[in-house]
Amino acid sequence: MNKELRRKKRYQAEKRFQVYGIIAISLAIFFVGILVTKIFSDGTSAFSRTMIKTEIKLDADLLGITDINNKDEVENADYYTLIYEEFTKSIPFSNDEEEKQIITLLSPDYEYEAKDFFLKNKDQLGKTVTILLTASDDFDQLHKGNFPRDIPEDRRRLSNFQLQIYDQLVKENKVTKVFNNYLFTKGDSRDPELAGFGGAIIGSFFTILICLIISFPIALMAAVYLEEFAPKNRITELIEININNLAAVPSIVYGLFALGILLNVLELPRSTALVGGIALSLMTLPRIIIPARASLKAVPPSIREGALAVGASKVQAVFHHVVPLAMPGTLSGTIIGLAQALGETAPLLLIGMVAFVVEIPGSPLDPSSSLPVQVYLWSESAERGFVEKTSATIMMLLGFLIVMNSLAVYARQKFEKKWN
Amino acid sequence: MSDDHIVKSYDEELHIINDAIVQMGSLTESLLEDSMNAITKMDKDSVSKIVESDKKINKFRASIDEQIMTLLVKRSPVAIDLRLAISTLKISQDLERIGDLAKGNAKKILPLPEDDLPPEMLNSMRRLGEAVQKQIKLSLDSYLERSTEKAIQVVKDDEQVNDLTKISIKEVLDFLAKDKKNLEFATNLLFVSKNLERAGDHITRIAENVYYLISGDYPKKNK
Amino acid sequence: MNREAKVISKNVDVFYGNKQALFDINLEIFKNEVTALIGPSGCGKSTFLRCINRMNDVIDICKISGEIEIDGFNIYKQGVDVVRLREKVGMVFQKPNPFPKSIYDNIAYGPNIHGIAQNKQELDEIVENSLKKAALWNEVKDRLNEPGTGLSGGQQQRLCIARAISINPEIILMDEPCSALDPIATAKIEELIDSLKSSYTIVIVTHSMAQAARVSQRTGFFHLGKLIEMDETDKIFKNPNNKMTQDYITGRFG
Repeated sequence: MNKELRRKKRYQAEKRFQVYGIIAISLAIFFVGILVTKIFSDGTSAFSRTMIKTEIKLDADLLGITDINNKDEVENADYYTLIYEEFTKSIPFSNDEEEKQIITLLSPDYEYEAKDFFLKNKDQLGKTVTILLTASDDFDQLHKGNFPRDIPEDRRRLSNFQLQIYDQLVKENKVTKVFNNYLFTKGDSRDPELAGFGGAIIGSFFTILICLIISFPIALMAAVYLEEFAPKNRITELIEININNLAAVPSIVYGLFALGILLNVLELPRSTALVGGIALSLMTLPRIIIPARASLKAVPPSIREGALAVGASKVQAVFHHVVPLAMPGTLSGTIIGLAQALGETAPLLLIGMVAFVVEIPGSPLDPSSSLPVQVYLWSESAERGFVEKTSATIMMLLGFLIVMNSLAVYARQKFEKKWN
Repeated sequence: MSDDHIVKSYDEELHIINDAIVQMGSLTESLLEDSMNAITKMDKDSVSKIVESDKKINKFRASIDEQIMTLLVKRSPVAIDLRLAISTLKISQDLERIGDLAKGNAKKILPLPEDDLPPEMLNSMRRLGEAVQKQIKLSLDSYLERSTEKAIQVVKDDEQVNDLTKISIKEVLDFLAKDKKNLEFATNLLFVSKNLERAGDHITRIAENVYYLISGDYPKKNK
Repeated sequence: MNREAKVISKNVDVFYGNKQALFDINLEIFKNEVTALIGPSGCGKSTFLRCINRMNDVIDICKISGEIEIDGFNIYKQGVDVVRLREKVGMVFQKPNPFPKSIYDNIAYGPNIHGIAQNKQELDEIVENSLKKAALWNEVKDRLNEPGTGLSGGQQQRLCIARAISINPEIILMDEPCSALDPIATAKIEELIDSLKSSYTIVIVTHSMAQAARVSQRTGFFHLGKLIEMDETDKIFKNPNNKMTQDYITGRFG
């Protein structure tokens, strides 16, 4: 009966192990669920923007336009005054203070929005048109339900008068939410409703591009050299140890390197994707070399022997046969390394990509920000409007990481299918 | 390195075949002796026993053939193992023929009258019979002991057997010329002598095969 | 019989670091014959085979002394171009190792890197001829662009043989070419070896005594790094001179 008992105990132990596994996975899923839910619930509202519908008369006198074909006049027309006058006219007010409160319900960008509108509708000069203008940050947050209304006026961002106007506008169906394209097209801004991570995305893109261009070829060649050609001596061992250690160096050290050498000695432009890319490429190098070496090592020696036996030289055998077979693993490692680089903040902070960059960078030599840095910056801001934008940026970052990792899986599968 | 195969069952199979040949050889040797005795003593009662013995020898031949076929299929023998298989096959064949000849000789006395026959007619034949018996013993010993010297000796002594046959035949013919009374008996004796010579040839072939088994070559014929 | 020695090994010793793997090997391989090398595991027969095309060069700790002459020319002399040597001496391995490329590219690779074909048409001809000589053409002629790794084991090995033939070598070395194949595929390869020997000199290492007896004209028996006996295959398998040889081939040790 001893055997029976032992078998029973074994089954029970296995059952227990299964249960532990399920508990662990459930806990993990639970916490991930909480994280994702929080981020998404905070971030989704950033993808919409509150706008106020209003009717204005495109008064030529207010604008100061006599001839709509005169480019100069149209460029320099006084859109500011037009909107100011027309909008405040549409809402009854009793004193200067209230007048100011009305206009602050609009985002300060309104003159540019009006200009854009007019340039598309020049023929409407003199007529009364309906125009959508972006609401201010406070208005936007109120409409999204993030401001409590039942606290005393002096602790609120919006006065009672402004709340009245809001209710009125809502009753008149003049308040709508549209898809927030500013989030993607605009750079950073002091005004949350106008802020976007467009600059950060382009900045990240250029940075990763530079990183890829520098690190991939160097890493691949280094891996090939170390694995296939390097003689087995102390020097090679030393190089290998150093590469493995580089992978463990805290990323901020690379930032210091970039600051000290790239910015101070070489005097490369601060805050640019070029410098960020170089710093990140140093960090990514070992992360590509190590899986590349593992992939090269995994290529069976029979392939090398087959090539050599047919009269290929060592170099031909390696580059015609071994390296292509090591590509799936190398590419996986590269994409994962780049995905990690995408999320790096510390080195970029040190080289100044923390600067407030409004313009979307046109090239890697323009000052720019990056997605993780943008998260950092916005998380520190006081305005309520930045809370949702921070979460939205995190969602964007996570989205990119998922895409890149999926690419890695796809690339690996595609290559493996081809060679098998 | 030993003389045993790594696979023990291989060695067992070889031992079984070896024992079978040894037994078969022993039986054949006895059969030859019994056959000569039956002839010289005109012992008709022993003939049926002789026929039975020969049947046993034939059974041995069939069984050994089968075992060697199995050995070839199973073991794909090479070198000495292959020579052993082939030689044993041939030796069993020769032994069977010798048995047949001995049986045939014994049966020849059956139709003859019971009267005493002139013993002088049988002198040389008796000596021939003894010589053949000596040959078969020597050749079987050469197999048992794996001795090339003994095998060579058998080959050499075959000439003696041939000479004794001639003498025996001449003696019978001389006797016949003098006294035509025992024509049938004499004729049978001629056959018996010839059969003994042929038995001697088979025995010599056995010795040649033993020599091939051991050395890988057949002994050179210096005539 | 007018026999020309194609490969002559003179006093060849091979060391892996401090461990000696081959001791004073002296033997001859004759032209347009199949020579088999047999012996128990670790006896050095594969090591010797790999000396003939200097494949042992890729192993750092392997050191060779002595001479190996091919057509009278010592291939271990200073300054010998190993790439050109391997153009002359091809090799087929134990486990079929086609390149992970198309069937066509597998065969075309060698001629390409050696610049043997002047144009695409010549290359096509070389590919077709090699596959025909390897008795594989009819089975693959309609799918030359499919990967070589998609063929069966026996076909892959014939592909490797075709690949070896494509650069027109004079000697083909085979290291246990059938040990990973089923009996039918093995029989096809043996048939192929038989037909190839009129054009090439073949040296085959094999664990199967029966195969050595079937395919070769001469056989060399190695044991613990020494060449114990080398003679006509017939002699070795019917009546070898050396007792150790006999004990090995009959299965009394090894």
